[in-house]
Amino acid sequence: MSSASTDNPVYAPFFGVMGASAAMIFTAMGAAYGTAKSGTGIAAMAVMRPDLIIKSVVPVVMAGIVAIYGLVVSVLIASSLTQDMSLFKSFLGLGAGLCVGFSGLAAGFAIGIVGDSGVRGIAQQPKLFVGMLLILIFAEVLGLYGLIVALILTTR
Amino acid sequence: MSMMASTDLLFNVDHGYLEGLVRGFKSGLLKEFDYTNLTQCETLEDLKLHLQGTDYGNFLQNEPSPIAVSTLDDRLRERLIIEFTHLQNHSMNPLTKFLDYITYSYMIDNIILLISGTLHARSLDELMPKCHPLGSFEELPTIAIVANTADLYNAVLVDSPLGPYFKDCLSEQDLDEMNIEVIRNTLYKAYLQSFYDYCQEIGGSTAEVMGRILKFEADRRAFMITINSFGTELSKDDRKNLYPKCGHLYPEGLAKLSEADDQDQVRQVAAYYSDYRKIFDGVGGPDGKTLEDKFFEFEMELHKISFMQQFHFGVFYSFVRMKEQEQRNIVWISECISQQHRAKIHNYIPIL
Repeated sequence: MSSASTDNPVYAPFFGVMGASAAMIFTAMGAAYGTAKSGTGIAAMAVMRPDLIIKSVVPVVMAGIVAIYGLVVSVLIASSLTQDMSLFKSFLGLGAGLCVGFSGLAAGFAIGIVGDSGVRGIAQQPKLFVGMLLILIFAEVLGLYGLIVALILTTR
Repeated sequence: MSMMASTDLLFNVDHGYLEGLVRGFKSGLLKEFDYTNLTQCETLEDLKLHLQGTDYGNFLQNEPSPIAVSTLDDRLRERLIIEFTHLQNHSMNPLTKFLDYITYSYMIDNIILLISGTLHARSLDELMPKCHPLGSFEELPTIAIVANTADLYNAVLVDSPLGPYFKDCLSEQDLDEMNIEVIRNTLYKAYLQSFYDYCQEIGGSTAEVMGRILKFEADRRAFMITINSFGTELSKDDRKNLYPKCGHLYPEGLAKLSEADDQDQVRQVAAYYSDYRKIFDGVGGPDGKTLEDKFFEFEMELHKISFMQQFHFGVFYSFVRMKEQEQRNIVWISECISQQHRAKIHNYIPIL
């Protein structure tokens, strides 16, 4: 097995690197939207009900978790990169990165919008908290599916 | 994403200062504990003293005592006008147009005031000071010379901002008591629908928040027009033409309302809509709340909720309405104090 094998093109690592970047970039965008949107909701409702602030931080935490999914996949892909890698492994890396990236973007969007409305609703009706939590979990789980598929891809 | 960009990310570039300012104004509104202090005042001098400790400060300082309730009313209104004009002067489109829309309702009131004053042979000098300053426009004083609605349109209103709202009212009939009210309601209906469409065009949170508020306003007007028309000469068809179409009641509720003959039938129509059923059920009761009181309370709830969202224009509208309600509350309490008739002093509408 020589280092200058013609089976592995020189440009192969490009796709893996792009996958690693995509994982972090898009999950960060999703998490940013989630944090910003629910953050403004919390800021607005905290004026009326300061006692509910800590409970209302849940959407922000869940948005942060989405970014962690991206971080994990990014690190996994990055640690599998070598200068001389097959296109196959590289494509796996790209696929994994895009998978968790866009799923995380979608999850972050959902968490942002639900978190914003949920938090403002809790200020008026505290019993809404359990409902909001359930909906947020379903939104979060979209990112989790992306993570699972990405993990399966990177460990092939 | 682009919706988020235009409404959330870039909102503060043009409107951030004014939204911050209006939230500051709103936090200066009288709270429950201020109202408790005011209701415990024995004289208007005490009231003035308590108001000095609030955001109003020394606004009554230059008034000779004893203060009349009408002076108090004027000074309170002046405060709102100063704040609103400042907002208008510093605004950029589309907020400028939105604030203009808010002034149109005052314009309609001024026009009707001048027309009915002229009919009762009052002079222009007497009437102009009674006009609301926020609703003044160039052609306003010329209303005193018109005879019928066609003149009113051609001579006065065609160039004013209210021109497009007038096309449903044109007729050669002379202006008299009856059709002045019809004119007022027709103008207001056109204005409300136009305002609603504009807010929907802006989109985003503004459309959502203002949509809620304006739908309630449309429905409230439909109910009040119906109830006030019982026992007058207004025909059912005429009444139907006055209902604004941008509310929840359109179309089925409005159709039923136009058939209604008495208060009970109106209640039955309201029973189909959970919010309105609660309002109508709350009328009467131990503290003698009237229907108008319940409508005002519900409206104040909607305005309170509008401040819970950011990056929309609804906060400006809500602030103006809350400030006006506060003005009405203070004047109510002052009247109760000055007439020493304290039984209903607690019937002000809670705002916050």
